[in-house]
Amino acid sequence: MAKGHGLLRGKYAVVGVGETEYSRNSGRTTRQMGVEAVKKAIDDSGLDYDTTSWGTTCYQVGDAAGSEIIFSDLGVRMDYQVDTWGGGSSSETLIGLAIGALEAGLCDAMVVYRTMNGFTEMRIGGTPVGAPAGPPPFMTRHGDHTMHSRIYGIASALQNFGLSFVRHMYEYGTTPEQLAHVKVAHSKGASNNPKAYYKQRLTVDDVLNSRYIVEPFHLLDCCVETDNATAIVITSTERARDLPRPNVAILGTGGRTHKWSPDYHWNHGPINQVGGIYTKDVVFPNAGIGPEDVDITGSYDAFTFTTLLQLEAYGFCPIGEGGHYVSDGTIELGGRRPNNPSGGHLCEGYTHGMNMVIENVRQLRGEVDDYCEGEHTYDYSEGACRQVQDPQITMNLGWAQPPTGSSLVMTNQV
Amino acid sequence: MAEYLGAGVFVPENDPQHREYLTEAGKGYLPLQQCDDCGAKIYPARTMCPECRSSDMTWVAASGKGTIYSYYIVPHPINPAFKDFVPYPVILVELDEERGTMGEHRALRIVGNLLGDDGNPAPREDVAIGKRVEVTIVDLGDGWGLPQWKLSGEPDEHEAWQIPHSYPP
Repeated sequence: MAKGHGLLRGKYAVVGVGETEYSRNSGRTTRQMGVEAVKKAIDDSGLDYDTTSWGTTCYQVGDAAGSEIIFSDLGVRMDYQVDTWGGGSSSETLIGLAIGALEAGLCDAMVVYRTMNGFTEMRIGGTPVGAPAGPPPFMTRHGDHTMHSRIYGIASALQNFGLSFVRHMYEYGTTPEQLAHVKVAHSKGASNNPKAYYKQRLTVDDVLNSRYIVEPFHLLDCCVETDNATAIVITSTERARDLPRPNVAILGTGGRTHKWSPDYHWNHGPINQVGGIYTKDVVFPNAGIGPEDVDITGSYDAFTFTTLLQLEAYGFCPIGEGGHYVSDGTIELGGRRPNNPSGGHLCEGYTHGMNMVIENVRQLRGEVDDYCEGEHTYDYSEGACRQVQDPQITMNLGWAQPPTGSSLVMTNQV
Repeated sequence: MAEYLGAGVFVPENDPQHREYLTEAGKGYLPLQQCDDCGAKIYPARTMCPECRSSDMTWVAASGKGTIYSYYIVPHPINPAFKDFVPYPVILVELDEERGTMGEHRALRIVGNLLGDDGNPAPREDVAIGKRVEVTIVDLGDGWGLPQWKLSGEPDEHEAWQIPHSYPP
């Protein structure tokens, strides 16, 4: 079988989603939050705790409770378990892995979860809260590139990614004002999302008037670090037909594809194009669609510019024209192809990708949690509706670092 | 023990590529590995030549000249070692070596910091894409050195480009 064969197109479905509050003071362990999110997702699916053959996978970076703890608390016996290492780009990758486990007959339903105290325990950049105050040594581990990166003051995600986007500004004239529109668009969705950590609608000037974190990137170009757990449940579309929730089928995935030399990618240009340029050649044939068929995108918006670079890579606009695409109203709630109508990582909360998958599931079900009472009004003014009108296909764009991408296409047309 | 900005610099004994890299840099030049079989020049330090999968590589001196390809400015330290170093520019230098020989869009591009003549980070006004730079080796002690960069004084390779300032001063 070849890459992108599409033989499992629509054969598996997301049948349950669940999450905790997005906060900056959970006051709980990743274990307790993980149990809450997984239970909510299983409850949502309607699958039976005791008679279903369960499999599970989670991802973490040494910062979270594993499946053997979560499922022991839940009193659920596992037929399959594979906990993995990773942050961003894992959600879509593990959904593909879950399909593989189901197809291999290892279990009948798979849980994918992520639990993290991303604000009170492990911050972005991998710095544990409460680390010793003195400077840590510059030390190579497992032969890594410390002597070619960290010793030059490249420590955080933004510092790792920044060179790629500045080269985009140089080559294509992309401006900080255009980037700011990503935050403006996502904040518009977040204002109609009771769960969002930041609900305030923002302007381009708000972004540009926030301080530099790494020049040219402002504070409001960065996502909001939060404490939270998130979970989804996957089973066969055939089994899903007997379950109570509206069906959301998985058309295809692409799992953590890489550009050349992802450990030090700058020698292989163009450095202002990202891993999605390879992911698209896996996910689109698998899903049997193209970018023009997608009604809602769910980008990994760790920063405003990661959204722009991913949308270009997957062909939602030509390479180099992302600045126009993100600033002409297309990606806003009410636009032609909204991106992250929940507010995403920039506004709702930071979950290493899971919350944008959950949002797209709810969008496809037609039941996002907004401020509508009863039927959705499709009135996108502040504090009102955020349900996109009749979406049929959504696409999640996963990101780990500039050379690494993953993807997921879902539909309610089953 | 070798130190940089007051923090220890440590490479385990079982990591000869990085120990040799710092030792070679300590001799006063930018070290690259060169593959004994296919001749490719390699950076960063690797355990195998990714062009032909040979394990036989020899350290050679780069010319140490290049052009700034991208950059940004870091105003806040994350590692406390950088608390007196901020604000500092991180630059990506495209080396003169191997340009145009490895295929479209490929080149040897090396991250580092642009330093002024006094060894401190260069001010924002001095940094731009297109400016020519040359390597300068910072002594780490114990015979180890760290490649860094300073303006070479050569004419800009192309019209210099600076990050538009979008934050009110």
